[in-house]
Amino acid sequence: MLLYTLRRIVIMIPILIMISIVVFALALAMPGDALSGQIDPSNTKPEYIEEMREQLGLNDPVHVQYGRWAAGILQWDFGRSFVHRMDVTEAIGQRLPNTILLSVLSLLLTYVLAFFMGRYAGRHPYTIGDYGIQGLNYLMLAIPSFVAAIFAIFFFSFQLGWFPATGSIGSGVTPGTMEYYLSKLKHAALPAIVLGMLTTASYTQFLRNDIIENAQKDYVRTARAKGTPENKIYNKHILRNSIIPIVTLFGFDIGSIIGGAVIIETVFTYPGIGELLITSIGRRDSAVVIAITLMLSVATLVGNLIADLLYGVIDPRIRVE
Amino acid sequence: MSATVENRRSEEMIKKAKKQSPWAIARRKLFSNKLAMISLGFLVLVTILAYLAPVIAPFDPYRVDIMNRNASPSADHWLGTDNSGRDILSLLIYGGRTSLTIGFICMFAVVIIGTTIGSIAGFYGGLVDSLLMRFTDFVMNFPYLVFVIVLASIFREAGIWALILVISSLGWTGAARVVRSKTMSEKENEYVMAAISIGGTPFKVIRKHLLPNVMTTIIVQATLLLAVMIVAETALSFLGFGVPAGTPSWGNMMSEARQPHVIRTMWWVWVPPAMAITLTILAINFIGEGIKDAFNPKSTR
Repeated sequence: MLLYTLRRIVIMIPILIMISIVVFALALAMPGDALSGQIDPSNTKPEYIEEMREQLGLNDPVHVQYGRWAAGILQWDFGRSFVHRMDVTEAIGQRLPNTILLSVLSLLLTYVLAFFMGRYAGRHPYTIGDYGIQGLNYLMLAIPSFVAAIFAIFFFSFQLGWFPATGSIGSGVTPGTMEYYLSKLKHAALPAIVLGMLTTASYTQFLRNDIIENAQKDYVRTARAKGTPENKIYNKHILRNSIIPIVTLFGFDIGSIIGGAVIIETVFTYPGIGELLITSIGRRDSAVVIAITLMLSVATLVGNLIADLLYGVIDPRIRVE
Repeated sequence: MSATVENRRSEEMIKKAKKQSPWAIARRKLFSNKLAMISLGFLVLVTILAYLAPVIAPFDPYRVDIMNRNASPSADHWLGTDNSGRDILSLLIYGGRTSLTIGFICMFAVVIIGTTIGSIAGFYGGLVDSLLMRFTDFVMNFPYLVFVIVLASIFREAGIWALILVISSLGWTGAARVVRSKTMSEKENEYVMAAISIGGTPFKVIRKHLLPNVMTTIIVQATLLLAVMIVAETALSFLGFGVPAGTPSWGNMMSEARQPHVIRTMWWVWVPPAMAITLTILAINFIGEGIKDAFNPKSTR
């Protein structure tokens, strides 16, 4: 397993380099100065731009620029944000905890909801409850996340008033108190549910079908023949087999959550890095855009790596190549 | 006497059943699937309405009417008007045309790219396969939506075709993988070896022998991709990186709902496009499920 893990990590390095080259190419194509973020995008005087470009080395050959940019990133220097007047790392660092809270909460809700709905539907297939869950699933798979988010704001924030519609924290709450954490949780709850909707639907479906399939296998018949109570058959024998494949999907979730978070955070104006990405594109704050793009790509790559490793843990055949 | 007639009839029926091609069986199965047929009817209806937009839309979707801004539904404007006094119903019909057209074009582009790469990789195997698949894996590593947004923002001035190019140039990976694995298993059959042995060129073998047998997979993929592409376009337009603002599209209509007061007080602005998008995607998903089921020999429905 250790060897397999090391091998997977080593394979990642060339991919990382190639991803950085693609992101670098995007940076060159972006308006303004995406590599260091030093040129004022609102100052359009040609002399000023030319002087700054010369000073920052933006007229150097491309490979020299790439080397300088990559060396900077390895030293955790992503340039400066012109809009926020601070280092890009700092601007992202302020938002990152919010996005992490949102993602973790969303994953948690996804697994809990999918577990209970899938277990119920799998145990009672072709009943009213199962059809209800299936119908809900189809709806969750069909409704785009931003549409769902707007419906959720309309019903749960404006009509019922259960959750706040925007932001990540209530006004006038002092950091560190119990109230503060509850307020944070309350603000993240609705976006997290919407964000996890798609995965919830697919996991529920997956778990349900797997339970139904497993229920016809020989080992279940054996357990029944021995007189094992039905509850125990489902909760111990079947569930343990059916839950494994879902665990391996965890890594891929990271990728889907990243894409979803960009949209969901924007709809809820939730100050996370997805929302920062969208507003930065609008304000031509290219250095921030490039840093976030690189960061999210690396996160997706790590997610795929985790998925691979989990798969190796569960299915030993994968490890042997 | 009657027994022999019965026998002959049943023999004829068996013969008839044997004569049926897999396509005919699938068609029969699909036609008897009520949900899929209702969905197909709905999708066809929406498409026809959208393409007849200039004929049936009650107003010009570009007509700005300052006197009638944000009007709630009335006899004149069945679904009310938006922020600049444009008729929502007309916008909805014209917007459907934009969104469906982009969805269909992107779907075709993605299917063609995915099928080409997948079938070449699956047919040749070896070095070609590993090169193409490494490339596919590489493209898959990028967070799709983030890259589409960034690319679309760079090419924002270039119009709708650039948008289509961006959406489809990153979306083909899943289709390529599915087509490849299907081609690989299909390639093992003797008829492919026979086709190669009588001197069929790779292009001809892929096009005439392999693709027709992989077609069912491609059709199912295409249906599901159509839904994905429509969502991609509407989501991008919603965020302001898609169809140029001012052009009617379902996503652009939804983008008005980025302001909380619109969500709170003016439901007629965002509910119609929201319902149109969701119902269209739902219908496409049901059709896709129906087709998948119809081509599945194990299902007895």
